Amino acid sequence: MNWVELASLIPLLLVASISVILLLLIAFARSHKLTCWVTCIGFALAAFWAFSQMGDTPQQVTPLLIIDDFSRLLGAVVLLVSLACAWMAYAYLETADEICEEYYILLSLAALGACVLVSSNHFASMFIGLELMSVSLFAMVGYMAHSKQQVSMTLEAGVKYMVLSGVSSSFLLFGVALIYAYAGTLTIDLKVISGGPHLQSGYLVVGAALMLVGVAFKMSWVPFHMWTPDVYQGAPAPVTGFLAAAVKVAVFAFVMRWLMMAQGEYLNGLLLGLTLMAVLSMIMGNLLALRQSNLKRLLGYSSIAHMGYLIVTLAATAPDGAAALSTALEGAAIYLITYACMTMLAFAVISQLAAKDRRFESGTLMDYEGLLFQQPLLAGSLILAMLALAGMPLTAGFIGKYYLVLVAVDSQLWMLLGLLVLGSSLGLYYYLRVILVLCKPPVSDHHWVLGTNEKLLLMLLMLATLWLGIYPTPLIEWVQFAIA
Amino acid sequence: MHQLWLIPGLPLVGFFLLVLGHGRFTRSLARLIGVGSIAIAALITLWVALDFYSPGAAQTYQVELWPWLTAGELEVSFGLYLDGLSLSMLFVVTGVGSLIHWYASGYMWQDPDYQRFFAYMNLFVAAMLMLVLADNLVLLFLGWEGVGVCSFLLIGFWYQDPANGYAARKAFIVTRVGDTAFAIGLFLLYRELGTLDLPSIMVLAPEKFVVGANQPTLIATLLLAGAVGKSAQLPLHIWLPDAMAGPTPVSALIHAATMVTAGVYLIARTHGVFLQAPDVLLAVAFIGLFTLLISGFTALNQTDIKRVLAYSTMSQIGYMFFALGVGAWSESIFHLMTHALFKALLFMTAGSIILALHHEQDIRLMGGLRRQLPVPFWCFVIGSACLVALPPTSGFFSKEAILNASWQLPVYGPWFWAGGVLGAFITAIYSFRLLFLVFFGAEKVQPHEPKGWQFHPPLIILATLSLVAGWFVLPTGDVLPSSPAGHPPMWTIVVAIGLPLLGIGIAYQVYVRHKWQGLRLAHWQRLRQFWFQGFGFDGLYRRLFLTPFTSLAQVNRNDIIDGLPTLLIQLSRFLHRLFSQLQNGQLRAYIATLASAAIIILALAISTVGK
Repeated sequence: MNWVELASLIPLLLVASISVILLLLIAFARSHKLTCWVTCIGFALAAFWAFSQMGDTPQQVTPLLIIDDFSRLLGAVVLLVSLACAWMAYAYLETADEICEEYYILLSLAALGACVLVSSNHFASMFIGLELMSVSLFAMVGYMAHSKQQVSMTLEAGVKYMVLSGVSSSFLLFGVALIYAYAGTLTIDLKVISGGPHLQSGYLVVGAALMLVGVAFKMSWVPFHMWTPDVYQGAPAPVTGFLAAAVKVAVFAFVMRWLMMAQGEYLNGLLLGLTLMAVLSMIMGNLLALRQSNLKRLLGYSSIAHMGYLIVTLAATAPDGAAALSTALEGAAIYLITYACMTMLAFAVISQLAAKDRRFESGTLMDYEGLLFQQPLLAGSLILAMLALAGMPLTAGFIGKYYLVLVAVDSQLWMLLGLLVLGSSLGLYYYLRVILVLCKPPVSDHHWVLGTNEKLLLMLLMLATLWLGIYPTPLIEWVQFAIA
Repeated sequence: MHQLWLIPGLPLVGFFLLVLGHGRFTRSLARLIGVGSIAIAALITLWVALDFYSPGAAQTYQVELWPWLTAGELEVSFGLYLDGLSLSMLFVVTGVGSLIHWYASGYMWQDPDYQRFFAYMNLFVAAMLMLVLADNLVLLFLGWEGVGVCSFLLIGFWYQDPANGYAARKAFIVTRVGDTAFAIGLFLLYRELGTLDLPSIMVLAPEKFVVGANQPTLIATLLLAGAVGKSAQLPLHIWLPDAMAGPTPVSALIHAATMVTAGVYLIARTHGVFLQAPDVLLAVAFIGLFTLLISGFTALNQTDIKRVLAYSTMSQIGYMFFALGVGAWSESIFHLMTHALFKALLFMTAGSIILALHHEQDIRLMGGLRRQLPVPFWCFVIGSACLVALPPTSGFFSKEAILNASWQLPVYGPWFWAGGVLGAFITAIYSFRLLFLVFFGAEKVQPHEPKGWQFHPPLIILATLSLVAGWFVLPTGDVLPSSPAGHPPMWTIVVAIGLPLLGIGIAYQVYVRHKWQGLRLAHWQRLRQFWFQGFGFDGLYRRLFLTPFTSLAQVNRNDIIDGLPTLLIQLSRFLHRLFSQLQNGQLRAYIATLASAAIIILALAISTVGK
């Protein structure tokens, strides 16, 4: 490993060093504020570094990691999401009857895992990244276990996530083993096999199918979605934000590299399964969310639907390989980024609210009635997030959905497109319902003052959501640059 | 001629002033604006006419005020066009219009909505002038729809009575049928000729259309449908009698003198297209003939003074259509002008009678009014004489010219002539029946004649004009095709003069001297009923359109189509409940699902191996 390769790893090293610094810091002095600051600055530096390196030549660092523009861009997105998760967690943990500092260590480890996943082009690094992320998340989901405020749900969610994640990882690992048995190598680029891969081989197909099960679990694709609502509801709001945004971005980034980069040929075997999952996710995700009364659970179902829409980009590359590849990659990347942005906005609002009153995350939508008149900034942010998730024009959500429609039309996936439209119209119902609740006359007193930091986070996320919707050209150019 | 834009502009300004100042102006100020704007427009018309007639002046004047629509090839502008035809119409609209406004300022004085009335009237005149002066058919259509809206607003002016609202809706909806056809005709015309500019159409239509070919025939038919709706001709005539629900000056201005003649103007204006479709032109003649006969028969036994006049208006417009159809283009416009004068006179006189009798309109309750109401009596006599075409009134000149032209039409000529003369005979009977019933016989009521400078002067001016207008020469000769040359035999003229006199004689015998009672329709109840109801067109349309429509609406009361979305909602909720039950929170169920789903994915993947 030379210096150039080492320099390209700096974002990963920075994130890793956050956890070490925090461990040492806690050993000497517990200070929530300092811990949070260190974490945020570390994430910001790492994201900035990753982003500023865009345009440099791709670096294959050992056989395990590839640092190219694709991993830099999506790595930066993952790091920014982590930054927001640390930022919003401060107020949330400050009012909790629970020790706070270890959350940031776990968060930085999970972020490191996500970054590794984004950069990996080797099954070994993929598995390490995935497990680093998942194991940290087990603890994060159940983080409030000792809190008297919401004991029952959070521990249950943590255990469920751990058990189910373990089961799915075993499928994944078995799949990797089968592929290794055929190829004799763990690199995802099967072109290195002499004479090229024989894609009709049973080993490869079964291996890929088993890996898909593991991936589908993390992506909450129906029918591997069962954990999603329970875990989303039980986990602390900042952790749910990480689950909803960073995990999906990282895992799908790997899927894109794995399936799409292999000229889409893997996909022919998996297409039926993927299509089935897309259909089920779009329909069931939206239908389950329809009359859901807990906002976090509702967002869980909504994320199932959104991830279902994303399968369209995978299916689009299957029929004739490279023809639609660049459009599909572009669409997928843009969709992931816009989705991360608006989801973080929604969870930032929920965290801020839960910091003041835990009922906002554990209770029903009734607690949100009249919030618009008492907390205009929070309610306004939530309204914007809902509009964006519904895909309204002038918000980030519209650009993402527009690209998916474009990809579907390009590849003539009429059935999936029809379901996408149907799902979006169903989605309007429950997104608008949330807005309606916010505008009702107030029932309880919510006159508290929001801190400057909280306001700043909300405003930045709102700005990003609007900016991506109104002037998406820079984003599109970055994405096109990254996948070129 | 550069002041031309002021003519439609002033009434429009008047409308805006009256609307914006609603409730803030005194009656006198509203009267000043409402009547003044039209009167000044009439003076400007005179000024423009002087320019027009001055030696060496151009016989057409076109000015583009500003562009309106620009979409690809289509360019439509707010442009005005003046030639002999539109100048003749300008005289009628501003001249008769200002006299009627003058009269209305007295007639409506007691009405609480005085200002709203003049706002509508000014808007109407502005729209009518736009219609007449438009240099393209799109702008003409704007004016066309504008007068339709004003007609709707003014028929339903006393909206507190639901019957008036019904009449307004009926008029609006029935004319809508024609307007839709008109609009489609415009689209077709644009597709065929690529322009809707009126002067260009006159040049292009003879070049691009083959006489009798499908395109001109279809377009002319559609334009004719629009004209028929607006001018209350068969079969879209049923709205006009009900339109009498509006105030009497409205009936005089809109439903006698100007708006209802817009159909005649449209056909004359687009004669280039109609000349390429001789079949449609023949249809115009037949429509006119049937309308003039049917409405004449209907007028014979109406009991409402305004309804008699309404049917006579339809009948006279029938003569205009008849004239257009037989190729007497200029004569038709001439009859339009004379009819505007004497029919406005008749309506305003009727208005004075109605006002004198405290809004009584039933002629069976009138009688012997000639001594108490001398001025209206003599005005009514003059108006009726014009209507019956007694020489030497203006009506005689215009109707004689039409009948002469119809005689010379090949093949159908004498038949058309006979129909027209029969119509004149019936006209004489019903007009003098009206005159005798109202002004002769026993005195049944004590009238209170409205007096003042708003009542008698306009009537007297109109009466004078009606008498002498036969000697006017309209400048339409250069614009419209010339009528067939030659003279019919002498005996036809004698018959045409003699039959109306005979009709008057019969009316005198029956209604004044109470002889020849066998001729009274009272003896033929069924025929009387049939004629009274206007040949049953209302009932026919009710059975053909209204009843099926309302019964369909009855069937669809609960909105069958709405059931589909409702079903979708029910289905979504059902599936939501179903799926929610799967989400039971039990780890073992989740793992079981995960495992079975993995098997399905595996099976699907393996099924592709070897294909």
